[in-house]
Amino acid sequence: MQWVRHMAENMNKKAWPKHNSDLCIRCASCMAVCPVSRVTSLFPGPKHAGPGAQRFRKPGDPSVNEWIDLCIGCHLCDLVCPSGVPISELNLIARAKYLDEQGRPFRDWLLTHSYLYGKLGSRFSRILNPLLKNGIMRWIVQLLLGIDRRRELPVYDSPTFRQWFRNHLPQEGKKVAYFYGCYINTNETDVGKATVEVLEANGFEVVLPPQECCGIPMLGNGNFKEARKMALKNIPSLLQAIRSGSDLIFSSTTCGYMIRHEYSHLLNIPGSEEVARKTFDLFEYLRNLKESGNLKTRFKALQIKAAYFAPCHLRSLGIGLPALDILRLLPGLTIENVEADCCGLGGTFGFKKEKYEISQEIGNDLKEAIDRLEPEIVLTDCEGCRMQIHHLTGLKVLHPVQVLREALIP
Amino acid sequence: MKLQTEVLVVGGGATGVGLVRDLSLRNIPCLLIERGDFCSGASGRNHGLFHSGGRYAVSDPEAARECIGENRILRNIAPHCIEETEGLFVSLPEDGLDFRDRFIQACQQVAIPTRLLSRDEALSLEPGLHPDLLSAVQVPDGAIDPFELVLSNAKDAEALGTRFLLHTEVTSLTINRNRVRYILARDLLHGEEYEIEASYLINATGAWADRFLRLAGFHIPMALSRGAMLITNQRFSHRVINRCRLPSDGDIIVPNHTVSILGTTSVRSEEPESVEVTSQDVSLLIQETSKMIPAIKEARLIRAYAGIRPLFQSVEKGEDRAISRGFVLIDHEKRDGIKNLMTITGGKLITYRLMAEKASDLICQKMGIKADCSTHQKPLPGAEKTRGFKDRLKALGRMDILCDCELVLKEEVEEVLKERKLYDLQDILHRTRLAKGTCQGGFCVYRLLGILHELGMAEGDSNKKLKGFLEERWKGIRPILWGSAAREEELIEGIYKGIFNLNNKE
Repeated sequence: MQWVRHMAENMNKKAWPKHNSDLCIRCASCMAVCPVSRVTSLFPGPKHAGPGAQRFRKPGDPSVNEWIDLCIGCHLCDLVCPSGVPISELNLIARAKYLDEQGRPFRDWLLTHSYLYGKLGSRFSRILNPLLKNGIMRWIVQLLLGIDRRRELPVYDSPTFRQWFRNHLPQEGKKVAYFYGCYINTNETDVGKATVEVLEANGFEVVLPPQECCGIPMLGNGNFKEARKMALKNIPSLLQAIRSGSDLIFSSTTCGYMIRHEYSHLLNIPGSEEVARKTFDLFEYLRNLKESGNLKTRFKALQIKAAYFAPCHLRSLGIGLPALDILRLLPGLTIENVEADCCGLGGTFGFKKEKYEISQEIGNDLKEAIDRLEPEIVLTDCEGCRMQIHHLTGLKVLHPVQVLREALIP
Repeated sequence: MKLQTEVLVVGGGATGVGLVRDLSLRNIPCLLIERGDFCSGASGRNHGLFHSGGRYAVSDPEAARECIGENRILRNIAPHCIEETEGLFVSLPEDGLDFRDRFIQACQQVAIPTRLLSRDEALSLEPGLHPDLLSAVQVPDGAIDPFELVLSNAKDAEALGTRFLLHTEVTSLTINRNRVRYILARDLLHGEEYEIEASYLINATGAWADRFLRLAGFHIPMALSRGAMLITNQRFSHRVINRCRLPSDGDIIVPNHTVSILGTTSVRSEEPESVEVTSQDVSLLIQETSKMIPAIKEARLIRAYAGIRPLFQSVEKGEDRAISRGFVLIDHEKRDGIKNLMTITGGKLITYRLMAEKASDLICQKMGIKADCSTHQKPLPGAEKTRGFKDRLKALGRMDILCDCELVLKEEVEEVLKERKLYDLQDILHRTRLAKGTCQGGFCVYRLLGILHELGMAEGDSNKKLKGFLEERWKGIRPILWGSAAREEELIEGIYKGIFNLNNKE
C-alpha cells in the first residue's frame, strides 16, 4: 500500500492547500442555505459562484459573471462550510472586480453614501419626510435612479442622535465608547437614546468618539476603495478611545461586523485588530456583565408578545444570540426566536429595482415564520432587517434595546 | 460481417485519425479500426503541450524543426484546439546560464523565435514563478486539447466517407503471396466479428506497433517510456513553464483550461498498458515542478496519470526509412517483403499531421496515383469556433449544469450523446470536459446515467458501467489522496456506497 505511506508523508509535509477553492470538497452544504439561489435560478449558488467559479477566474481577465452581483452578502454559506472556505469573500472580491469593470450607477453611490447627506436630511426632515413617503416622488425616484418605488425610503429624525447626546445630561462612571452608525444618528435616533439609557442605568458613562460611516455599504457594493477610506477615517479615533481604556460598543450588528471583522480581515487596516479585540455587540456586552454579576437584573414586567430575528451579520460574529439571552430575563415578555434565515434586504440590495423581487421572495419565508408566531412586535439588531420586516409584515419592529429600556426601573 | 476498403488504418490516436483525414481528402476510401475509443493511448495521455520545439532544440534539432513547422500550421488549421499561451524556459540559480545560451542559439538555428526576459519581466508575466529565477526565454509554446484535435479530424474524415469501427480489436492477419489479404476483427462490446479486406494496411497503433506486427510474425524494436503527470485543481500559470535545462523529470507545467498539468517522468516500460503512477512519481513531480512555481507544493491535486511514449528504438541498417528522429514510417515491402503493409509510429502529438502526410504520400506512391496533401491548408471543422472556457462561467445561472466543476451544460452532453452512438461512459468523457474537474466525475457521473436513461441510451448493466467508471477514476485519484482530496473522497465514497449501495454484491 504505497499510496497510504505517501498519503501519510504528505500529511506531515503540511501540504494542506492554502488556496481557498482547493479546500472546497463540493459537499453543497452552502447550496442548502443560500437565500438567493433558493428563490432564483439566476444566481448559481455559493458553491458554483465561489470556489467553483474561482477555478475559471484569472486575475487579468475581464469578468464574465454578471450573476455574481446577485450575491446578497449574507455570509450564511461561510457559516455552514465544513471546510472553512470563505465563500462570500470570494464572491465579494469577484463582485468588486465585476463592478469596477462595469462601472457603478449613480444610484449605488447614492445608496452607499447616505453619511454625506444624512445630516442635511435630518435638518430638513420636515420638508423631506413627506416627500420620501410620497408615491409620485417614489415613482420618479424609481424612474431616475432605479430605486424600487415599492420600497419605503427611510425618513429622517430631527435632531440627530449626536445633537441629542450633546444636550443630554452626562452621567459619570466607567467610560464606554459607542459606535452608533449613520442610520441611528439620522433615521432611528431612538435606538441610540435607548442604548445610552441602558448603559447609563448600568453605571457607565457613554462617550461618542468621532466617527463616520463604517463603510459597509460601500464594501457590500464591492467598492473596496471607498470602504477602506471610511475605515481609515474611523480607526484612529476608535483606537484613541480604546487606548484610553474604554471598550467600544455597537448597537448595529452590521456596523459591528464591519469594524470587528472586515476592517482587519478584508481591508487590512493597521490598528484594526487592536480595536476589534475591544469591540463588543451591545447585548454581548450586557451578557458579559451579567455573567460577571454586574448587570442590573431587576426589571419591570412588560406584557408583550415579541418575536426575535437574528440578523445575518450577528450570526457571522459567532457570539450566539445575546439579545435573546438578555431579553429572556425580562418578566412578562414572551419572546420567541424566528426560525428563518436572511431577511432579504441585504443592506442596499433590496432597494435596487432589479433586485427588489428577489429580495421580497427571500423575505417571504421570514414573513411566514413571523406570521406563525403571531407577535405584537418584532425585535432585531440590524436596521436593514428592521426596515425589511416592517415592509414585509407591517408590524412594529424595534431594536431589542428599545424594549430593554422600557423595562428599566428608574 | 465482411467489409472492404482501400486503406485500412489500425489505431484511433492522432496519427491514425490524422491519416484517414488526409487520405479521405485525397479521395482515397478508408476505414479505421480502434480497439478502444479515440485517444485511448498516448494521444489521450499526454500533457497537452503545444510544442514550439524548444524542448528539443538542443537535444534533437530535427524534431524541433518539425515541431515549429507544425506549430505554425496547426495555429491556422486547428485554432479551436489550441490556447496560444506562449511558453517560458525558466533558469533557476542551480541551473546557471550556460544551458540558456546554448538553448537560445539552438532555437535560432531551427527558426524558433525566442525572447529573453529578465527576472522582473518574467515575474510580472507570471507572478507565481520562483522569485529567485535568473531569467526566462519566451518561445511560442501553447496548450492543445488532444481530444478536440483528434475528434475534429475524425469528424472531417467521417464527413468525407471514412468509416470508424471503435471498440473493435484486430484478432488476426492473413498474409498470402506477400500481401495482407484480410484481417479478422471483433467488436469488444457486442461481439460482432468482421472480416475486412483492404488494398493497404497501415499500422498506426503507437506504443502497440510491435505487438500488432507480431500478428503478422514481425518485430520492430520499440523503446516504450512511461511518463507520469499530475493535474492540479487550479491553473497556476497562464503560460507553459519549462525548466531551462536538458529535458529531465518534472521540468514542465502546462496550463490546460482550468488546471495545470505537471510533468513528466520517464521510465522504461515493457508493456504499453502499464500506466500506473507510483508515489515516487508523485513526490518527484511535486518536488521538481515546485522549484519553478513554489505554490505547487501546497496545491491540491485532482488526478495522476501516465502515458506511454511510443519511441522507436533505432534505425536498422538501411532497410527502414527513418523520416526523422521524431517519427518513423516503415514500408514493410522493403523491410519484410509485404507489399501492402506500413507502420507509422513514434513522433509527437504535434507532428501527427506531418506523420499522416508522409504516410499518405507513401500510400499514394504505392497506389501509383498523384494526389497532393491539403491538410496543411484546410482548417479542421470547428476551427471557426472561439475557444473560451470562460463562456462556461457566463452560462452559469442560465442553463442546466451537469458537471459542477467544469461547468459542462446538460444540453452540451445531450448533444454529444445524440450525435453518435457511444458505448462506454469513458467515451462521453473524451468528448466533453465532463468529469475533468475537481471531483473527477464523483458528483456528475450519476447525473449522466440519469440522462442516458432519459434518452433511452442506458443499455446493459448500469451498475457494472458505474463500477467500471469508478474503478478507472480511482486509479487516477489513489496516488494523490491526501488533504482536501482525501476528505472529498470520503464524501464521494459515502455517496456511492451509501446512497447507491454499490457495495452490494448483487
